[in-house]
Amino acid sequence: MHRQSTIARFTDVTKRFGKNVAVGRLHLDIAQGEFVTLLGPSGCGKSTTLRMLGGFETPDEGRILLAGEDVTRLPPNRRDVNMVFQDYALFPHMTVAGNIAFGLELQGHGRGAIDARVSELLELVQLGSFRDRMPDQLSGGQRQRVALARALAREPKLLLLDEPLGALDAKLRGQVQIELKALQQRTGKTFLFVTHDQEEALTMSDRIIVMNAGRIEQDGTPEELYHQPRSRFVADFIGETNLFACQVRGSEDGLAVLDWNGILLRAAGSPDGRTSVEAALRPESIRLSTERPDQANALRMRIARRVFKGSRIDLDLEAQDGDVRLKASADPAAIEALTGDTVWASWDPARLAILQA
Amino acid sequence: MMRPSQIALTTFYWAFIVYLFLPLALMVVMGFKDSNFIGFPINAWTTRWYVQVFQDTAVLQAFGYTLLISIASTALSLVIGTWCAVFLGPARFWGRALVFAVMCLPAVIPGVISAISMRIFIRAIGLDPGTGAIILGLTIHNVPFVALMVLSRLGAIPRSQVEAARDLGADSLVAFLRVTLPFLFPSLLGASIFCMLLSFDDFVRAFFLGGYQPTLPVLIFAELRSGMSPAINAISTVVLVVTAALGLWAERGTRRLKGTRS
Amino acid sequence: MATTSERTGNDAALIRPQDGTRGFWTRLTGNPAYQRASDLLLSSDRRRFWLLAVPALIWMFGTHLGPILTMIRISFLDSYPPTAGRVPDVTLENYLLFFQAPNYITPFVRTFVYSTCYTLLTLSLMYPIAYFLAKKLRPSRQMLFLLLLLVPFWVGEIVRTYAIMILLGNRGFLNIVLMGLGLTSRPIPFMYTGFSLGMGLVYLTSLYMLLPLYASLEKIPRNYLEAAADLGAGSWTRFRRVTLPLSKDGIASGCVLVFLISTGYYATPVLLGGPSTTVFAETIAGFFHVAGDKWPEGAAFSTIMLLASLVTVGLFLRLLGRRRGSLLG
Repeated sequence: MHRQSTIARFTDVTKRFGKNVAVGRLHLDIAQGEFVTLLGPSGCGKSTTLRMLGGFETPDEGRILLAGEDVTRLPPNRRDVNMVFQDYALFPHMTVAGNIAFGLELQGHGRGAIDARVSELLELVQLGSFRDRMPDQLSGGQRQRVALARALAREPKLLLLDEPLGALDAKLRGQVQIELKALQQRTGKTFLFVTHDQEEALTMSDRIIVMNAGRIEQDGTPEELYHQPRSRFVADFIGETNLFACQVRGSEDGLAVLDWNGILLRAAGSPDGRTSVEAALRPESIRLSTERPDQANALRMRIARRVFKGSRIDLDLEAQDGDVRLKASADPAAIEALTGDTVWASWDPARLAILQA
Repeated sequence: MMRPSQIALTTFYWAFIVYLFLPLALMVVMGFKDSNFIGFPINAWTTRWYVQVFQDTAVLQAFGYTLLISIASTALSLVIGTWCAVFLGPARFWGRALVFAVMCLPAVIPGVISAISMRIFIRAIGLDPGTGAIILGLTIHNVPFVALMVLSRLGAIPRSQVEAARDLGADSLVAFLRVTLPFLFPSLLGASIFCMLLSFDDFVRAFFLGGYQPTLPVLIFAELRSGMSPAINAISTVVLVVTAALGLWAERGTRRLKGTRS
Repeated sequence: MATTSERTGNDAALIRPQDGTRGFWTRLTGNPAYQRASDLLLSSDRRRFWLLAVPALIWMFGTHLGPILTMIRISFLDSYPPTAGRVPDVTLENYLLFFQAPNYITPFVRTFVYSTCYTLLTLSLMYPIAYFLAKKLRPSRQMLFLLLLLVPFWVGEIVRTYAIMILLGNRGFLNIVLMGLGLTSRPIPFMYTGFSLGMGLVYLTSLYMLLPLYASLEKIPRNYLEAAADLGAGSWTRFRRVTLPLSKDGIASGCVLVFLISTGYYATPVLLGGPSTTVFAETIAGFFHVAGDKWPEGAAFSTIMLLASLVTVGLFLRLLGRRRGSLLG
């Protein structure tokens, strides 16, 4: 990553609440123009990380740089970042325009400039006709857009979003995810987004940082995280997964050979000299066929359970009288097999990820 | 269909309402009795006691004086009580429970002891009995109520509200004035009405801390001790109407505000 | 830390003359003097804490605690207010005086016995009403019925005491009704007795019992009672095993408030009571109003009364098994 493109940097940052370490020795760089998501379960330190960048928590150790300037101990009102809060935090006694103008007034602009900027922002979030409404006269989605416009008003170097879609219903959420991503691309702003929802993270992010117990588990693109999880935690947290506890048997044709309950599997990764490893495989990476496929990893298995989920079918597969089990998921159009049928399950060695930890 | 227990409770409630309102109603009726003698039966009616009261400069002066003292002590109580609440609400420090107890103390000390300790205290700090002393005494008594009302509202403000203001460039004073204070407004209105009523009705502090100018309750007390005059009914009725109207108006106002701003 | 000059420089660049007039908040926060003050006083949490704490603590410890401490100090002096050229001696005389004369102990004991009785009476009267409001009415009507109870309490101590005098006087409403019904041939002397004083105190203090009771009863979820009924509890068992224990906090707060308030009344006992009902508040006031220069005795007696009230309240709360400190919080 180029030095000049880094907009925010955490160097060895630790934050404790009492004896509890919320964030431990965090190193993180965020590049200009990125959509970065901090993903993890509640209590993993993702919100604390965001709040330290916003100035609402002060780190116990380490430094935070914003555009090259040390902001570690600067109060929120002296930082060039703005936040969209989980509950939006719109001021209930001010109109939509008043809310958006709030930050501009404190920046020292005159009334004319503020009016013009407010109109521009209302157009941006498509709320032009809602200028004089009070927040309690708006729907959840509209409030979320006002909060976004308010946070963008001061042209922050970085926009912080603290689970801003959590309060929306599922249907609206999908639509807002797309809008938000489009807005980020249109404005070219850097977004730092916090969520515990893996689907949300996968949909919008350029880069996802998975956090657990105050530490970064993995940092990568959505595809990398999904297909190449580095740890059991990441594999478990993002999507459904099959975990294989394997003995390493060596390598062959550049592929690692793994022994899983006496079944030999091939994987694209490297076991790094370990004798036993764990490997992860996504259910939808498993292909089902009646004929034996031309694939290094192929098993003959019985369908123990078949659950119709609408857009897909979830299957529990068994072999060796139930000692070996797999979860698979298939396109309803592509599979006719029923419970009790026997099928071939196969997968690409590149999809079987050897976990680093 | 009502069960017997329900009927008994309803009856008891209305009986208690009668107990509360009957003496006040009798007092109002008595104010229109055309006789120097207070008591039943009433044979003739008049409004002359009201005319007399509104021409009595002592009563009018006492009324104005009490109003002035109430407004002054209410304003002071609001500022000091809000200050104490804003200090104690978010602060976490060793001894907070003790400070909280000290803050509440004037609200639970028996009235006569509170007044007498104040009488000694103003002597010790060189303040003479009179307007300043009464205002101080009432303010000390009111501050815990204001602080508790503001504290409970302060606990209801989402943390993100103040954080959003800070995030948008406000320092803590601007954030307080532009976001927290409007949020506290319903509780401040409620607290100010409560203080007005407490101050306007207060007898024991005004009695022990007052100078030559009596407040209205002290004036009525003095008249009652020197023998009941029918004019007292008229004064009391005016006080009753004024305070009840103020209370009802405030009750409606605070409820409407709480409805829209929570 | 950004220095002031850096930041003001930054903000100044944003202010353009063609922007038009600037609003109040813009002008305030754009003012360099304000910015300097804000940086100095508000920039760190610690400074902000002390800025709020110092005046608040001075007020609280000075005026909330100051009068009580001054009163206790005076109670150990042999004369006060001080006479010129003479330093008062420290003495226990004022406290010993209390134990030497029955005409001081009698009103003292009477005050506590009366206040306890009135408190229990108020509790037994207000509990059914609070229960009725909180559990037998639809929520929409609760506020209206509660408001009806509140209205008389907006009227002050003196006016309400006077209203009781009209009710109970020899030619008062009650006697007229009783004589009209032929139940008595001559007026019954209600006034200036324990009865009239009790009527007055209940009249004055019942609200302070009602509100905590109502608040605690209102918080009990209806399904607790339904669950108890489902488990076979009859209405008396439900009340004794569920409602009563869960409203204990309200009972405690109400009783403490009513007890402390009723011991502190001065005008009401003076107006409604007689020689046989003199309470300790009147005894204490006597030192300040009737006799001259007896402040130390009055202070000592006030201290005794304050201590006794607090000990009574403490014992009562211990009896109910409540932690202290949660009375108003």
